[in-house]
Amino acid sequence: MASNDAIYGYDPRDPAAPNRPTTYGQVNRDIIRPLLRPTALWLLAMAIVVGMMVWGGFAWYQQITMGMGVAGITHPVMWGVYIVTFVFWIGIGHAGTLISAILFLVYSRWRTGVYRASEAMTVFAVMTALLFPVLHLGRCWQAYWFFPYPNQRQLWMNFKSPLMWDVFAISTYFTVSAVFFYVGLVPDIAIFRDHSKGLIRKVYGAMALGWHGTDRQWHHYMAAYGFFAAFAAPLVLSVHSVVSWDFAMAPTAGWHSTIFPPYFVAGAIFSGCAMVISLLMPMTYLFKWEPYVNLWHFENLAKMCLLTSGILTYAYGMEYFIAWYSQNPYEWAIFSWRATGDYAWAFWLMVFCNCVAPLVWYSKKMRTNPWSLFIVAAIINVGMWLERFNIVISSTAHNFDPQTWALYSPTWVEVGVLIGSAGWFGTWFLLFCKTFPAVAITEIKEMVAPPVKGAGH
Amino acid sequence: MGHAATTVHHDEPGVRLKAVYAHLDCLLAGIARMKADHTEGWTVQSPLPRHEILEAVYEGRPSPVRWWTLTGAIAGLHIGFLLPALTAAQWPMINPGGKPVVSLVPYAVIMFECTILFGSIATLLGLMFHSGVPAMLDRSLKDPRVTDASFTIVFPSAPRSQVEKLKAALVATGAIEVTTGDDAVYEVPNV
Repeated sequence: MASNDAIYGYDPRDPAAPNRPTTYGQVNRDIIRPLLRPTALWLLAMAIVVGMMVWGGFAWYQQITMGMGVAGITHPVMWGVYIVTFVFWIGIGHAGTLISAILFLVYSRWRTGVYRASEAMTVFAVMTALLFPVLHLGRCWQAYWFFPYPNQRQLWMNFKSPLMWDVFAISTYFTVSAVFFYVGLVPDIAIFRDHSKGLIRKVYGAMALGWHGTDRQWHHYMAAYGFFAAFAAPLVLSVHSVVSWDFAMAPTAGWHSTIFPPYFVAGAIFSGCAMVISLLMPMTYLFKWEPYVNLWHFENLAKMCLLTSGILTYAYGMEYFIAWYSQNPYEWAIFSWRATGDYAWAFWLMVFCNCVAPLVWYSKKMRTNPWSLFIVAAIINVGMWLERFNIVISSTAHNFDPQTWALYSPTWVEVGVLIGSAGWFGTWFLLFCKTFPAVAITEIKEMVAPPVKGAGH
Repeated sequence: MGHAATTVHHDEPGVRLKAVYAHLDCLLAGIARMKADHTEGWTVQSPLPRHEILEAVYEGRPSPVRWWTLTGAIAGLHIGFLLPALTAAQWPMINPGGKPVVSLVPYAVIMFECTILFGSIATLLGLMFHSGVPAMLDRSLKDPRVTDASFTIVFPSAPRSQVEKLKAALVATGAIEVTTGDDAVYEVPNV
């Protein structure tokens, strides 16, 4: 990786920054140049993620043909790796909308370089998460039963169930995020259309929907974009709150807590920002985006992680305090077991990854060191998966009746599906970065001084 | 402003007239000149949404997309209540936990989600309706330089009798190029 000085590059607050783009045309060419030109490194990365996806597909095929028995979930742990990973990917999807919508509404300038890739991450992460309820069904061909529609079975779902709230919350989140993402992309696709030829121009021309940058288009676009951001912003807070109610609405020890919604939302933003760092650090060097995405952006993401890590640490501590202070023996038993029982390794590893490791970023030197950013972000991603593992597995493995207690360990099929989900996500993300501008060209142009001839006309 | 198909003399045969600007201040001077002359039927193109341009053209008038948003959100709020409530009313025997058949508190989540969902979809429809997309067949505004770095003022159908007068006015405000007809096709570098 390049040195700090080389990549600290373009900070919009600093007009004298050496790599600062000076013209609109330069921004176009810098960002478009690497597109549609596969490099050896990109092809290698694609081969890896496609291989992972194929492995996951094979594992799923085994489950479909052999039945759910090939997965490790059984009484009392009926929510295993599939639900753990579902919650993990939903959480990953949070940072994109936070960066693109909430930071847009508060006029945060550092979002500009990273929001497009973060939005793509959101859409692909939710697409990945949506696989898991379907996988967990077993009979995946009946997934459409999730949705309300008049049917000959005369069956309707229970709208009072948090699981049904979740269907609405996640499908709304996916739809709104995808619309917000595509609307933002249209002017940039038009740029790519105008810089290409032949069949590629026709394909991008169709996707650009006849965008020509007219005053009429921009006028309504800007209004609509603000409304999309205003709609998406509360979704950032609501979606993971609703996911947390999947747990908190059940009277299960370790789950039944009012702290869950803010705790889950903070965790989601924490993991999402860490994932943005993990994805964009290598992509920045691969695609030579340094003038547009650099340590200024990563440092701000690290600060977001520090804030949310503090909230999570407080929530972890408060869970224990409430379990002790409430004098509820079931609560205290489950929390004691989490820290000292069979899954204590996962608990303490989670504490290290989510509470201890991020502390190094209190040092500006570490916060602006590419290796520190990349490694700690990867540790946080592991820690956040383990957090969901702790919540889902420990409370179901040791429920109210000791006669039913049992331990859970995932089978190769579940591990295969977990790996496959990462491959599915990675495939979409790599394809996107090679075929669409993953840095928002139009918004970057807004940060470039407009061409002005001077007075006298 | 600037969206009527032709200028003031609608019955005259029209010709496309396009002025290209390399500088934002010149473009703003061009817009001011068109407004001062009460000229109609022109459209501005720009590579990015500069607030100065939108302010000059629309003079603070808000986009009607907001009414689509409001209508969609209100419709979504009601749909979010009616869908679960009417479902529950059809199956009153399903009464989990002794809760009322129609319970506002659990339905609030569905209402919230539907408000966002329908509001967003209506906003998208409003955006498409008012901004005129998809418009793949409209070639009158095609100029790849616009998405690159140039600004234009385009008359999709300027009256022939006024073309010379308009050309002179546009050149005077700093247009680097003024062309008529469909003959001028430009390419930007294929990077």
